[in-house]
Amino acid sequence: MAVNRIPRGVNRTPGDRREKFPGYDVITQLPTWDVVTAGVVLRRLGPPPPIRYFTQDEEPIACALLDQILDQRHEPRVPVLQMIDARLAESQTDGWRYHDLPHDGQAWRDSLHALNDDARRAYGTDFGLLTWAKQGHIIAPIAGMNLHGTGDWHGMPAARVWSLWTRYATAAFYAHPWAWNEIGFGGPAYPRGYKNLGLDRREPWEVPDRDPDRDLVQLAREVEDARRHDTHYPHPPVIGLSRDPLHDEPEW
Amino acid sequence: MVNRPVTGIGSRITRRLFAGAGDHVAARNASAWLLPTGDERTNYQLRRDMRRYRDDDEVDAVIVGAGAGGGTLAQRLAHAGWRVVALDAGPFWDPDVDWVSDEAGSHHLYWNEPRVIDGINPVPLGSNNSGRGVGGSMVHYAGYAPRLHPSDFATYSRDGVGVDWPITYEQLRPFYRDLEEELPVAGEHWPWGEPHSYPHSPHPVSGDALLFQAGCHALGIPTKVGPVAITNGRFGNRPHCIYRGFCLQGCKVNAKASPLITHIPDALAHGAEIRADCMVSRIGFDERTGLATGVHYLHGGVEHFQAARLVAVAGYSIETPRLLLNSANRRFPDGLCNDHDQVGRYLMVQGAPQVAGRFSAEVRAYKAPPPSVSSEHYYETDPGRPYQRGFSLQTVAPLPITFAEHVLAEGHWGAPLREYMRDYIHWATFGALCEFLPQPDNRVTLDAQTDRHGLPVARFTFGECDNDRVMAETAIATMRDVLGAAGAGELMTIRRYAHLVGGARMAARPTDGVVDPDLRTFAIPNLYITDGSVLPTQGAANPALTIMALAARAAAHLVG
Repeated sequence: MAVNRIPRGVNRTPGDRREKFPGYDVITQLPTWDVVTAGVVLRRLGPPPPIRYFTQDEEPIACALLDQILDQRHEPRVPVLQMIDARLAESQTDGWRYHDLPHDGQAWRDSLHALNDDARRAYGTDFGLLTWAKQGHIIAPIAGMNLHGTGDWHGMPAARVWSLWTRYATAAFYAHPWAWNEIGFGGPAYPRGYKNLGLDRREPWEVPDRDPDRDLVQLAREVEDARRHDTHYPHPPVIGLSRDPLHDEPEW
Repeated sequence: MVNRPVTGIGSRITRRLFAGAGDHVAARNASAWLLPTGDERTNYQLRRDMRRYRDDDEVDAVIVGAGAGGGTLAQRLAHAGWRVVALDAGPFWDPDVDWVSDEAGSHHLYWNEPRVIDGINPVPLGSNNSGRGVGGSMVHYAGYAPRLHPSDFATYSRDGVGVDWPITYEQLRPFYRDLEEELPVAGEHWPWGEPHSYPHSPHPVSGDALLFQAGCHALGIPTKVGPVAITNGRFGNRPHCIYRGFCLQGCKVNAKASPLITHIPDALAHGAEIRADCMVSRIGFDERTGLATGVHYLHGGVEHFQAARLVAVAGYSIETPRLLLNSANRRFPDGLCNDHDQVGRYLMVQGAPQVAGRFSAEVRAYKAPPPSVSSEHYYETDPGRPYQRGFSLQTVAPLPITFAEHVLAEGHWGAPLREYMRDYIHWATFGALCEFLPQPDNRVTLDAQTDRHGLPVARFTFGECDNDRVMAETAIATMRDVLGAAGAGELMTIRRYAHLVGGARMAARPTDGVVDPDLRTFAIPNLYITDGSVLPTQGAANPALTIMALAARAAAHLVG
């Protein structure tokens, strides 16, 4: 077998969603990438390093929080927890901090413990052990405080805590080639470059969106209403929009 | 004050390379011709042969920071025969092995040392506005290279806001022209400010830029392709842009300009030393003479001192004030050159809100340089509007991690976040650069926190004024209209900032600023500041070209 071939059974996208770009795999372009970039990207597909920064207590809180932020409900998951843990263990931060928050690593620790306190107060259980819906109920008010720009949460500015969590979460998730496949992103392009600029123009290896006219406003409204009002959150239409009814079994 | 040294090795090299070539750009700055022609991006021989000075050699000039300001100054002085050492806190980059076509893998391009931000509107630093290493922030800037307008030099006289510069546009014009040739800048004939043309023709436009043009056209807003410091055609040994879209991650092609390729090679050929991975901790000062003596710096955990007859600080708007403040001594107890409490003040960022619009068509904005088309239609003060000065509009094309911030800014998370992101290829994103006004309390001070060297870190305090806020909201409304006119469905808005200038501003009098019109500090005759810190106002233009032009102008004054 050629050693440069990706085994066919290897995963291409994060779990659970019907593909918008069927069969698209950015990794097939690997032979056109420079070796330094290829090395950086391929490392993300290998086994993640062991948890070094988060304590045993913090790990399940962080894991559940990140699954919620990124809606990662099924394997295979992009190992966002391990990616963030590695960043914090290596102090690979942006350097700056808000005057009213400690540095990123400590802010993560403090905020995870505060989140667990909320869970215990509301349900008498650790955050990581709550059902998906209850975890969502705990998080939603913090996200809401962020949207409106003000508000103290356990002595921390809610907006800045929310920004910390979500920045780290999305920076990890959308660094991963599975996420690039999910969103149809063309990925690294040196030294090959791109030829076909313009609207509705694709490179020969890019895959068209098979569902270009979805109503995202409606989707977001349904989910966000459900978080506010409905203990059955997330209810079927939410996930249903992104599932393939022929092939995926509902799990709620 | 500074004697002009004897011209040496440099002019011999230039004569040998370009005898008979007749290329006036190469004769002034041969950097593009000193890069390799093949698949490599770095002239390793030139770096191996780099002249090296001892710490106790009193060089003609030591420069702190090898970015837009310091890199340009180093080239100009070395080219004129000066013995120059430029120190940079970061690495001497090799685009082939140090940079990647990848967002997350480019974190090392930014200044990630500790800093504290506060104020009414704290400004996040790092990736968006602070570089490190040879080439500075221009390694990861988008590539837009507009000039300021003539009106920018007299905003107080004309519009009653900001402050007048102690120099005029006309005094900077020849340096703008020179730098536009050396980068080189590509774009359509420019109708705004002082009308001018660019040496390279406009690039083909991307999908999002087509929509920008269409939306603006429908509303009667003129647009122009460029101006971008990205080669459109071969320039020296630099190749044509390949439209790979990762301009903000460092150009692996050598197509997008940064001093690493536009000025440093010529500086090396003329005997300059680039000393990388050296963090300058303090400026040396002799109380008896009142002159700077050189710089103290840390390399490999060891403190060194480079003696020099002239010191030029070019660490950008946060680190330059920090270095002056950290260099306090008996004569300057509140920080070097800070007799009038001007150091660190009037620091500016541009309001840089962005609006993304959703189209049924596949836009795939990642495919071309994010800087594609822009408009300065709203740059100048309009008496009919409720604010002074104005903004520019540009295409920006965020990559996925950055685009996720747009989705988050709308309050989406969980399933909606993932679904909006799955829709990434359908979105076109436009950005505004708003001329926020200089305010004395927007400033750098020293924090109680120290870095790993034990040096106090910078604290950057920032707040918008009413004029800033009204202008930014107007810019957002305009971008929403443009996207609507282009046929966008849903829109997403993010409020953010871009660029840093000011903090050690140029003024006519010592009580109003830190440096004079030639960028010499008022307080110390052989200490210069040659970076974006010196801008008194910022216009609605990306600052890189202006910073380079100011450094080139200061150099012209120095070499006579």
